[in-house]
Amino acid sequence: MECSLRESMHLVSEPRNLDASVEEVFRLMLGVNCQRSTGPEEIAEPESVTAVVGFGGLLSGACVFRSGASTAIKIAAHMTGMEFEAVDDTVKDGIGEICNMLAGAWKSKVPDLSANCDLSIPAVITGRDYKIHVQAPEFKLHHIFKFDGASFEVTIVCDGLQ
Amino acid sequence: MSEVRALIVDDSSVMRKIVERSLRQAGLEALVVYEAGSGNEGLDLLKTQPVDLILSDINMPAMDGLEFVRQVKEQNLAPGVPVVMITTESSMESVQQAIQAGAKSYIRKPFTVEQVKERVMPLLNAA
Repeated sequence: MECSLRESMHLVSEPRNLDASVEEVFRLMLGVNCQRSTGPEEIAEPESVTAVVGFGGLLSGACVFRSGASTAIKIAAHMTGMEFEAVDDTVKDGIGEICNMLAGAWKSKVPDLSANCDLSIPAVITGRDYKIHVQAPEFKLHHIFKFDGASFEVTIVCDGLQ
Repeated sequence: MSEVRALIVDDSSVMRKIVERSLRQAGLEALVVYEAGSGNEGLDLLKTQPVDLILSDINMPAMDGLEFVRQVKEQNLAPGVPVVMITTESSMESVQQAIQAGAKSYIRKPFTVEQVKERVMPLLNAA
């Protein structure tokens, strides 16, 4: 029987799965506890780092991680035990990997999704004063999280579900 | 345990560092690490450098980890050396594909040191 995610839509779009995925990745790979922020905050730093991992298969879309430059540096420092003065290739690599793990952890929360959806290799974008726009998604989860005084955003956007 | 030579194959230098650190924290204090940023680089390294353990990511550009492991087996580059896949993929299908390709075990990212210890140490003790 062909698999369809339509009947599992409520599971796939469950916001708590995203929160649990973020908490798990940050706890295991950075050793920090992070919590979802309920405030209407945005990334305050002009320079930001964004990583994108695409989903393909029964669900098409993307997992997008975005933080300010100083938070990205903090995250990479926690991951590697190294110190960084700027967003260099290692910091970008680390953020890409965080996004990769978030996408994988989120995907694993729903068995049919896990088995029928592949991940792309991460793409990392750096720059100043830009916003991300997604047209007419099937669903979108956009959460802000905080740890050690730093904040970051994670977005799951689905533009197609079979 | 005597010296262990491990090849870590991952296109992310950060992940290679994390895997190395986890192996040392899991008890491999006499660890010599060889790094490869791609499957092709890993194959080239194995042609001249014997190792005792191979850890590979799956999702890599150009040559994915499953193809890398298949090539290691087909070219007989590391006979008897255990291969552990370290990856974000968690479905049973992915695990089965990895085992069919020639891997002995599988660790899902994100992972703990305990998970590394449980999956890797028995393979080294059996070798």
